[in-house]
Amino acid sequence: MTWLNSHPLTFLVFAPALLGLLLMALPHSVGKLTRLLGFLGALAVFVLSLAWLLGRAPGSAPLAEHAPWFALVGLPVDYALAVDGLNLWLVILTTFLVPLTMLGTWNSLKDRMGTFAALFLLLETGMLGALVAQDLFLFYLFWEGMLIPMYFMIGVWGGDERRYAANKFFLYTLSGSLLWLVALLFLAGRAGSFAPAVMAQAASALPFAAQCWLFVAFAVAFAIKVPLFPLHTWLPDAHVQAPTAGSVILAGVLLKLGGYGFIRFAIPMFPQAAMHFARPLALLSVIAIIYGALVAMVQRDIKKLVAYSSVSHMGFVMLGLASMTVIGTQGAMLQMLNHGISTGALFLLVGMIYDRAHTRMIADFGGVATKMPIFTTFFLIVTLSSIGLPLTNGFVGEFWILNGTFLSGFGWGRAYAVIATLGVVLGAVYMLWMVKRVFWGPVNPDEESGTQHLHSDLNAREIAVMLPLVVLILWMGIHPRTFVAVSEAPVTALLKDANAPAIRPLVLPSAPESGPLEAAAEGHGPASHEVHP
Amino acid sequence: MSITPTEWAALLPLIFPTLGACLIPLMALDRDQATAKWIRGAMYLVALAAVAAGFWFLTDLWKSGAQPAFHQLHMDRLAQFSGIFVLVAAAMAILQSWDHFHQEGWVKGETLSLLLFSVTGMMLFTATTNFLVLFLGLELFSLPLYAMVATVRHRAEGAEGGMKYFLTGAVASSCFLMGGVMLYGLGGSLDLTLAAQAIRAQGLGADPMVMAGAALLLLGFLFKVSAVPFHQWTPDAYEASPHPIAGFMSVATKGVAFLALLRIFPVSLLGMGAAGARMQAALAFLAVLTLVVGNLTALVQTNVKRMLAYSSISHAGYLMLGFVAGTPAAFTGVLFYLVIYLAMNMGAFGLLTAYGLVGEHTTFEDLRGLGWKRPAMGFAAAVFMLSLAGIPPMGGFYGKYMIFKELVGTGHVGLAILGVLASLVSAYYYLRFLVALFLQAPSTEAERLASDRPAVHAPLAGATVLVAAAIVLAGGFVQAFLADGFAHRAVSEGLGLLR
Repeated sequence: MTWLNSHPLTFLVFAPALLGLLLMALPHSVGKLTRLLGFLGALAVFVLSLAWLLGRAPGSAPLAEHAPWFALVGLPVDYALAVDGLNLWLVILTTFLVPLTMLGTWNSLKDRMGTFAALFLLLETGMLGALVAQDLFLFYLFWEGMLIPMYFMIGVWGGDERRYAANKFFLYTLSGSLLWLVALLFLAGRAGSFAPAVMAQAASALPFAAQCWLFVAFAVAFAIKVPLFPLHTWLPDAHVQAPTAGSVILAGVLLKLGGYGFIRFAIPMFPQAAMHFARPLALLSVIAIIYGALVAMVQRDIKKLVAYSSVSHMGFVMLGLASMTVIGTQGAMLQMLNHGISTGALFLLVGMIYDRAHTRMIADFGGVATKMPIFTTFFLIVTLSSIGLPLTNGFVGEFWILNGTFLSGFGWGRAYAVIATLGVVLGAVYMLWMVKRVFWGPVNPDEESGTQHLHSDLNAREIAVMLPLVVLILWMGIHPRTFVAVSEAPVTALLKDANAPAIRPLVLPSAPESGPLEAAAEGHGPASHEVHP
Repeated sequence: MSITPTEWAALLPLIFPTLGACLIPLMALDRDQATAKWIRGAMYLVALAAVAAGFWFLTDLWKSGAQPAFHQLHMDRLAQFSGIFVLVAAAMAILQSWDHFHQEGWVKGETLSLLLFSVTGMMLFTATTNFLVLFLGLELFSLPLYAMVATVRHRAEGAEGGMKYFLTGAVASSCFLMGGVMLYGLGGSLDLTLAAQAIRAQGLGADPMVMAGAALLLLGFLFKVSAVPFHQWTPDAYEASPHPIAGFMSVATKGVAFLALLRIFPVSLLGMGAAGARMQAALAFLAVLTLVVGNLTALVQTNVKRMLAYSSISHAGYLMLGFVAGTPAAFTGVLFYLVIYLAMNMGAFGLLTAYGLVGEHTTFEDLRGLGWKRPAMGFAAAVFMLSLAGIPPMGGFYGKYMIFKELVGTGHVGLAILGVLASLVSAYYYLRFLVALFLQAPSTEAERLASDRPAVHAPLAGATVLVAAAIVLAGGFVQAFLADGFAHRAVSEGLGLLR
């Protein structure tokens, strides 16, 4: 127990992988038992993560582990893990979504379910490791290692085009991270270490042009994961072809790692370059918001619609980061959690209806509300959260992001905020239009249609999966402070601290008319913008 | 003349495989069918014993830290490293060939004998800077390999591949000889280190004759590592050879050529001055060519063995990049890379044996769905392919990491970017292997055929595959132990580069 007391993060990160490897050794014939063991293991990790990460006495030192690992070619690599304000809730989101997804897709797979559960656990280790790693080499290992289980999850259990989708996903992500590796090696060679703080110091000593190149290498690797327009093309393929569980975790956690990479590494390590590229990033984000929404609108496949809505929603995250304001970045942090919950829930719901009807085409449905009232209720709540209705989580995140962009003091801030707001409207259009066609109206009379195959409403297991998600949607909408309080200090430090000293004064004078509002936003932070009474 | 104990210590690692190689043909004299089975077993045991004796002796030598020498034969750390390297590859090849030759229905003792002669030549090749001994080693390991490629005589490709390898190899050897003679003529010493010093002292570094000599010498090495444009023999030879022999060639030939080059290159070639710098530039150019041609050609292969052949060509490109960086740390990276490369390539070729794919049946189609049939083999296959592609946390990643780090550190950022792009391309064809194993169901016809055939039984090959997978994983998780304790010491204590 003493080991466990001093290494809780190591346990949380590696316990799923150990269990996963163990389960992989079990024969296919006991697949159901394997699946159960996998679920129980993931659940245990979730409970432990709650107890260890949230159940800590206030004011106690942050959880961290640090030990030298190895030194190759003169570069020491540290085994450094930590949970702080930036990754606390993302870690919990991960440990929460994994068992939930396992439960939600309990009967979706017909064969090799044990291996799937094992891969899922390996993936959990990859995600948790990347989230808590405080050494860039370690982060890179987890970041890349994550691809392997996801590749097999899409490729083996996916839809008809699964091989294409899996290869595209793997190679696309790899291309970004390999170029990033060169940048990483360059900078680590200069710094003599992979510790982000040391590397940031080395980066600040480099000429500005070199900083820009390095930032671009970092940004491209992360932007592919987010995915930011125009690097998003792998996402619709991967999302649509992946099995439900894969889509949920892809949307819920993997995409977040891209945004997390920006907050944790790219922006603090190259503050000047990030400032320099804020406008292009914001422009691409706005394009992603509008483009994703427009493409989602014309989709015939519900899952594909949700996939493109991810592009749009993650565009908001990137816009919030590009605004370089505390409130915008806090909004991005919250929006990442929102998107994990709402889009994860949407994919789960799509999976549930697909398991019954074996189709996801909007045209195959109609009048589902009369056949599956409980399902419809859940779907509607999640839809409203995805649209960003006040009192749901989506509203708060998007509002903060738009607010931050508007007040950012950049010359483009106001215009981009206005255009991005259009994305919110478009979001309502495509989601509600889809809901109208699928759920309302008369029952689809075609005997072969999907609606005719819906014989049962959600069972207790499925309701048990959806309830916590709905509770979270409302909780995050009504009292978002629970989820962003911890990240306020690190985010403020990130933008104002020694890392970005000369930035704020340079920007503020360029937009004098927004002075008072800016000051208000700066002074009180996100808390003053909470929407609840 | 009497031989002192330390001189024996330098000689013994070579004597063990030679003894085994001489004993085995004697046993093959007995042609009685009834005893053939026992004789066969005995031959394999002798071969394994010879390899094991050499291995134990060398590991003892390594542990003791002694670096004995016998005249021009320097059994120093680097030679011990390459000896252990070659013997491990040979042991795996012998174990795999037991299964493979039984599948092919072609078990002959002479293959083992040739293999052991080749092993002796390889150890000689990496243990000297004397040009004549070097050439002796080169021929001693090459000639048996030409014959081994054509082992399975009843297959037409066997003879073709063997002949192609032999003819091109003979030209390369004569170029190597010519280059050595030129350097000897100008430098006045058969010892390449001394010759380089003399050439430098005379200020002949930029002399066309020296340039030509150095280039021809380098050509000999580049042929053996199958660098573009001296690579054409590789796919044909690999396709023609039995799987274990192809694996052994891909690992050991390339490995010892790089190890010998490691002894010659920094001291002798770079030591000559202008010519050495030119050679380094040429190496950079050829490395780029090798990476591009190797990877792009591998993309379109339908036969697994040809794909692995082109993949081995592209790996030569990465290793050459280590020489372009040219720092001691990069050489450590090269050695580390070779260790992992040994495991992943012997493993990949061993998989073909473990799955019982004989003769022509080595296309991606033949692999379909096999990954699920034997999970342990499937797991190992995933480890090998991901490691070949350089995906962490496999060992192959760290080999590339060390080489690319040094490339970036020495200002070759462009080459490093090209290198990572090449490994991106390579990921596609390695994934194709996994796609066939896991993502595709076997065709109905293949299912029908498989039900007719007896179940594949290849325990020895399977064991080597698992051992190889363990080495690759060890390279990924205890990389510092391998790199510092093994590769680094070979470079620092063997070559004296870091002192």
